Amino acid sequence: MLEFVVRGLLLGSVLGILALPMGLLFTTVRTIDFAVGAYALLAAAVAAAVPGLPGLAAGLLCAVGAAGVMGSLYLLLRRFGCEDAIVPALMSFGLAVAIASLVLLIWGTQPFLREGFSTFLSIAGLRISPQGLVDLAIELGIVATLQAVLHRTDLGRMMRATAANPAGAALAAIPVEALQFATFAAGGLLAGVAGLLIMYSSGLDFTAPLGLTLSGFGASIIFGIGSPLRAMLGGFAMGTAEALGAGYSSGMVAGMVPFAFVLIVLATTRFGEHGLAGDRL
Amino acid sequence: MTTTTRREVLAASLATAAFAGRSARAQSKDPIKIGAVLSLSGPVAVFGIPERDAITVAANAINDKGGISGRKLEIVLIDDKSNPTDAARGVTQAASTDKVVAIIGPSSGSGILAAGPVAQRLQVPLLGPAGTIAITDKKNEFWPWIFRVAPSDRVDVKVVLQDMAKGGFKKIGVMYQEDAYGKTGLDYAGELSSGLGLDVVESASAPYTATDLTPQATRLRNAGVQAVFLQISIASLGVAFVKAAQQVGLTGPAYANAGLAQRSFAANAGAQADGLRVLSIGNIGFDPSPPEAELASLLRKAGKEPQGWGELVGSNGLMAAVAAARLIGDGPITGPAMRDALEKACGFPTYSRGHACFSPDNHDGWSEDSLTVTVVHDGQLKPLQG
Amino acid sequence: MTLLRAHPNTLVAVALCACVILAVRSDPAWTDTAVLTGIDTLIALSAGLSFGQAGILSMAQGAFAALGAYAAALAAIRLGLPGAAGLALALAVPAAIGYALARALIRLSPLATALATLALGSLVDIVLRGWESLTGGYIGLAGIPGLGLINTPLGYLLLVCAMLCISVFGYENLMHSRHGRALNVIRHDRARARADGVDVNAVLSTALALSAAMAGSAGWVYAHYISYLGPDSLTTNTSIAALLTAVIGGAGYILGPVFGTVLFEALQRFLPAQEAQGLFYGGALVVILLVARQGLLGLAATSWRGRRRLRPVQAPASAAV
Repeated sequence: MLEFVVRGLLLGSVLGILALPMGLLFTTVRTIDFAVGAYALLAAAVAAAVPGLPGLAAGLLCAVGAAGVMGSLYLLLRRFGCEDAIVPALMSFGLAVAIASLVLLIWGTQPFLREGFSTFLSIAGLRISPQGLVDLAIELGIVATLQAVLHRTDLGRMMRATAANPAGAALAAIPVEALQFATFAAGGLLAGVAGLLIMYSSGLDFTAPLGLTLSGFGASIIFGIGSPLRAMLGGFAMGTAEALGAGYSSGMVAGMVPFAFVLIVLATTRFGEHGLAGDRL
Repeated sequence: MTTTTRREVLAASLATAAFAGRSARAQSKDPIKIGAVLSLSGPVAVFGIPERDAITVAANAINDKGGISGRKLEIVLIDDKSNPTDAARGVTQAASTDKVVAIIGPSSGSGILAAGPVAQRLQVPLLGPAGTIAITDKKNEFWPWIFRVAPSDRVDVKVVLQDMAKGGFKKIGVMYQEDAYGKTGLDYAGELSSGLGLDVVESASAPYTATDLTPQATRLRNAGVQAVFLQISIASLGVAFVKAAQQVGLTGPAYANAGLAQRSFAANAGAQADGLRVLSIGNIGFDPSPPEAELASLLRKAGKEPQGWGELVGSNGLMAAVAAARLIGDGPITGPAMRDALEKACGFPTYSRGHACFSPDNHDGWSEDSLTVTVVHDGQLKPLQG
Repeated sequence: MTLLRAHPNTLVAVALCACVILAVRSDPAWTDTAVLTGIDTLIALSAGLSFGQAGILSMAQGAFAALGAYAAALAAIRLGLPGAAGLALALAVPAAIGYALARALIRLSPLATALATLALGSLVDIVLRGWESLTGGYIGLAGIPGLGLINTPLGYLLLVCAMLCISVFGYENLMHSRHGRALNVIRHDRARARADGVDVNAVLSTALALSAAMAGSAGWVYAHYISYLGPDSLTTNTSIAALLTAVIGGAGYILGPVFGTVLFEALQRFLPAQEAQGLFYGGALVVILLVARQGLLGLAATSWRGRRRLRPVQAPASAAV
């Protein structure tokens, strides 16, 4: 059983990376970007088409670009006076559908795969692919960087101020709009990284986006959506649950895990409760 | 006045004779319209698009040789978008608006089940390229109108398991994907295994969206399976399993069903997949028989590279329709006439291997003799030696 | 006559149905398209009801339709019940699940509720695929009997149109009732609604239950019309399409979803590439949300009202959409 847990943790590291943009966006901009899975797909599709290192860079660039589109749309909406959180979420949904269709149009139904590691390391009697360790290392690196930025730099302070009180932050000469846009773009980058890592392990195809987004969201809310650390832990929890489900019961149960998580957390915690005064989600 | 009248009458009767002659000739030169309702978008497009390509080039080849009794074939293409609602809609359109006399498709079992009642109501036979057992179940009210143009899933599973039994294995595991195809494989494996001296001691499944199959591979390894039966049709899942098996130390050989007989699986599975056996309907891509080679060259001339058995199965549908039309000969070619003729079509020429045969009692035209076991080697599907 | 004057939306719906029936009755392929469009419109209307009026962004309408369809199919095949009994089940089962879901999650914001419905939809999908002994698993249920007297495509078209008009009528009645006014207040300001003595939980849950029942009735017609029902028939994609067309047409307006669905169906006939469908849907959604957040009907209404003063007859549009 320990083996399942370990494999689940490694599996969960990519989920955690997907959960990071969800958490970041929600705390800064108070909305959900449904297109996170689509950014991952786009990065993988471009990277599979362009060989070598330039392909990886191109993939990430495209993911960031797509997220930038979403960021611009969000800012446009605010300019038009829309305060509602639902509208940008719906828009991101439309964007996700459009990106998946674009990928299908250009590259068809083929899976986006790259040859990964073919040798294995033996750790404590378990054979582990270096890919899993790479995933874990990248995630730890990202989370550490994010935590450092958020809590020790001026940029981080400005982001937290924008999240707490956008109007006040604007009065304090914080470039609120630029920060919000940057958050979207950062989300795109993170999703792109996740997409590339999945490309090296099992591959992606055009049907992937919605499942990835939902898994990422589920992972982000398990321990509360507040910080990158919680998102990472949520990813581990989700991955372990999926691995245990696949190992001990049917694949059907394993497939239900992310959705059941989302429902249970929503039903039992205070996440997203409707405030009575101020109504700020 | 009399002269004019006589001249007028003569002119009129000449014109009528010419017109009648021309229209009679035009009627016998009317094209034979055959519908192709296939999945050209959505997940099943992996098979639907090769099916379409083969039907198109094969029909063109026949037309180039003069068609059937001087009549050309006209293929009406409709996309069923990989879902049963649009499959039924496509068949309705092909039969009532385009007035086709036979339909090749829909590409998926659920599409055929949804379109069956429509085919029965509008009296047009369906030539179904899917393996799902239920489509030729005699309990279906629309059974007389459905003809299967590929070996059924049950036949496929039996051949793979027989191959595994020949390898001397006793304890086997099943790795399947969470969908109709995968579940069917699991069920039939359970049903057929004991008769072949095999014992399914463990099974593991994964949804399409799984990114890592190491838990599934671990589960199979822990149960001590000597060989694994793979019922997967998504290339990336197949590749993920191969990698996972190697990683966790699941050492027994893997025997894959025809779902993985795809160029994209063989090419991407990597060196660790060498020796993996994959059942295939013919081997048009890597070791074609002479008719398969002919179809492959037709495809390449049209700029398409054969992907797997999708092209063969699509061509089976066309050749069955052609055989039925030839049997009807000079009579009127209508939907019911095609249906009756199909039940008499046996031993007709096809591009795939094996003996194709329908009868009033059997609408499953193809079986084991069109299948062959291949082995992954060097990114290709090579024939089994010996 | 006052009845008709008080229900202008129903009048428009009846007129539209009459036109469609007269136009397609002689062409089997167009009749088939009209029936399927009618079913899609019913589901989109249910999405419009829950989102436009109750502010619940429900991404589970396809799941509710599937529940209704399976309930109807099982009633007909396993229990041999007549079509009307199947309809009762197709209304009750989704409504019960919708009500329970809403009560559990009602304190959540619209965004969180949307995610919950998405999760529910996916769960329903998985259960339908996995519970083989009940639902036929992946293969589904074939050979669902027809609806007695109604067994031609034209008959189904008349049935679907009747259901659509009745649904629009009911929707309109709801919005004119005390219940409907309560929904309006809740959508603007929940605190105010509570202060007014409105039982917010009950009102919102009932709205979602009604919307689920509407989707379920669409599922009932679908099951009997196609006579085959599988897990691929009414899926999350159906939910997404219903929501997209409802928002694009104008979710706040009763006829918005009707307009949106008919428009998209018509456009689909002329869209060349099938793969590009999503690009078109998604792109249209983005553009419309930017330019006309009340949907196309809202855009039309605003420009019309800009030109002449008109008594608004639809449910009041609001910034919450």
